[in-house]
Amino acid sequence: MPKIDIKKKNLSKENVLNWMMNNAIFLVLIGLLVIIVSVSPDFISLRNLRNILSQASTRVIMALGVGGIIVAKGTDLSLGRLVGLAAVVSASLLQDPEYAYKMYPNLPHLHIFIPIILVMIITGFFGLINGFIVAKLKVDPFIATLGMMVIVYGVNSIYFDRPPYGAQPIGGLDEAFTHFAQGAFMIGGFKIPFLVIYAAIVTIIIWTLWNKTKFGKNIFAIGGNIDAATVSGVDVVKYLVMVYALGGMLYGLGGSLEAARIGSATNNTGNMYELDAISACIVGGLSFSGGIGTVGGIVIGVLIFQVIAYGLSFIGVNPYLQFIIKGLIIIVAVAIDSRKYIKKK
Amino acid sequence: MKKLVSVLLVLSLMFTLVACNSAEKATSEPEEESLKIGVTIYKFDDNFMSFVRRAVEKNAEGKAELILNDSQNDQAKQNDQVEMMLSKGVKSLAINLVDPQAAPTIIAKAKEEGTPVVFFNKEPSAEDMASYEKCWYVGTTSSESGIIQGKLIADSWKNHPEWDKNRDGKIQYVLLKGEPGHPDAEARTKYSVETVVSEGIQVDELELQTGMWDSVKAKELMDAWFAKHGDSIEFVIANNDAMALGAVNSLKAEGYFKEDKIMPVVGVDAIPDALTQIEAGTLVGSVLNDAANQGKATVDLALNVAEGKDVLDGTEWKLDDKKSVRVPYLPITNDNIQIAKDCYAE
Repeated sequence: MPKIDIKKKNLSKENVLNWMMNNAIFLVLIGLLVIIVSVSPDFISLRNLRNILSQASTRVIMALGVGGIIVAKGTDLSLGRLVGLAAVVSASLLQDPEYAYKMYPNLPHLHIFIPIILVMIITGFFGLINGFIVAKLKVDPFIATLGMMVIVYGVNSIYFDRPPYGAQPIGGLDEAFTHFAQGAFMIGGFKIPFLVIYAAIVTIIIWTLWNKTKFGKNIFAIGGNIDAATVSGVDVVKYLVMVYALGGMLYGLGGSLEAARIGSATNNTGNMYELDAISACIVGGLSFSGGIGTVGGIVIGVLIFQVIAYGLSFIGVNPYLQFIIKGLIIIVAVAIDSRKYIKKK
Repeated sequence: MKKLVSVLLVLSLMFTLVACNSAEKATSEPEEESLKIGVTIYKFDDNFMSFVRRAVEKNAEGKAELILNDSQNDQAKQNDQVEMMLSKGVKSLAINLVDPQAAPTIIAKAKEEGTPVVFFNKEPSAEDMASYEKCWYVGTTSSESGIIQGKLIADSWKNHPEWDKNRDGKIQYVLLKGEPGHPDAEARTKYSVETVVSEGIQVDELELQTGMWDSVKAKELMDAWFAKHGDSIEFVIANNDAMALGAVNSLKAEGYFKEDKIMPVVGVDAIPDALTQIEAGTLVGSVLNDAANQGKATVDLALNVAEGKDVLDGTEWKLDDKKSVRVPYLPITNDNIQIAKDCYAE
């Protein structure tokens, strides 16, 4: 990663430009904030900050999952459908015992961690298959995970649409489960949603994995140059399978939290989330050509999109126009970023 | 690169200037708090909801500032939007749920602020409605659309003895069903046929399949059914107009609707496309899901509760025992087509 050499403090024109280039994504964020605040000054409030952070939380967890895969020069289109599967399975196992339309009328009251962990194992397994297909069968990640995306939707729909109640959204969730995601605690008069804490914990874990372990070093090596990595003795298949499986597990966690946050789940929950997560990663400085990216960048990328989504609705921008703005930001951010890397090469 | 950076700089400068300007304006003008009402639509590009949305906008004009949100068929997005609107200090919420089961989450958020909620078009369960005193619902009675469609079928059948091609006195019908499990699809399927039978007409069901509300799927089904049953099909019943139009397209290719070759097709919704077909005589009729009045009722209620008045103050609506306003469906044929047309007039 290119780092800005602050020590020099050489304020020549070129250095200023370089600095701006290196921090283009921050400038985009600041520019947006300026626009939003200028239209609606009451945007600046602790409450809005809290809303944005808590809404970004589940998305950060999902984006961190696909982020590792992108670093290893892959991609994962099955993210959204795996999130949907996780949401449906966890919701179906965590319905309030008193609820009239339970999917499993005789299911005993489970501790919320049992279904969440079970779901993470299931989605982790799907991720593992993704990794196997990519690493061992040498199928292009785009195609492999595209196939998986469709398969998972089918699996989820079969699970979802069956007797006694058919294709009904799964609601009436256990209060312990919804509180787990919707709850908050107070610190000095400021309410901090639990979700933000979970996202922070996951971020720290992934940061450690990426920066302090052999796993991290190896996925960057594989993404940077797979041949060089193989020659230097990295077990490419093993690490690719691991990174896809880890991705799957994180979608599982994100999906369970998403179900609890929404308060219900259907087989369409999570649809297209992969596009949001992947664009957040790319805007956050991950390169599709692999081997480049930081955990911090991913978090910033997700926050940028959350600020756009929240802020633009807040100032009442036409919803259709919001799509256009979002698309433009992806292209502009990546254009600025890719110039940075081309120059480096 | 330099260009890009300078463009960015200029842009942000411009916006800062605009910001300063607008801030000054805001302070110089007298503070007039406009009444803010937060609205979410489950999906902006849903055909029917786009008419409801227009009616909502039209009725709120000059009375309240609407904050309109497109939930993009994503309940998570809708929850985010509700949080945003509450933090913006809306006086009431008008919510078109993506997923009716998610009502408790929305209610919990609104309850925290004491903000009244008017749900519309997608109905929360009775328990959820009862869980918060400041929530109401505007919608229809699902069964009613089926009953009215059934009456339409029975009446037109009695008026056209020549439609009974095999002269057995029974209607041999095919039915295009909406999404399985969708309350409207289930109710329309059940009640339309039941009503025909209760009018003293015997029926034979030749085919019943789901066209998923979709025109293309319906056309494909109709193609297959026609290949199988040919002219022994005497009536095509569709749960919505999109599917009815799909069936009409399929039948046109088989040579129907030219000269005297007629196949009676009925739909529900009375969308503009269907109205043209009714006028052209290719569609017998449809059932108007009254978008204009649903939008109006939603705004009427949301405005009243936002101002702290009685929910029905100054309106003609009535609440049923579930705190709901039921906007009636209307049968539409060529005779009264103007009613439906007025619905879509700007």
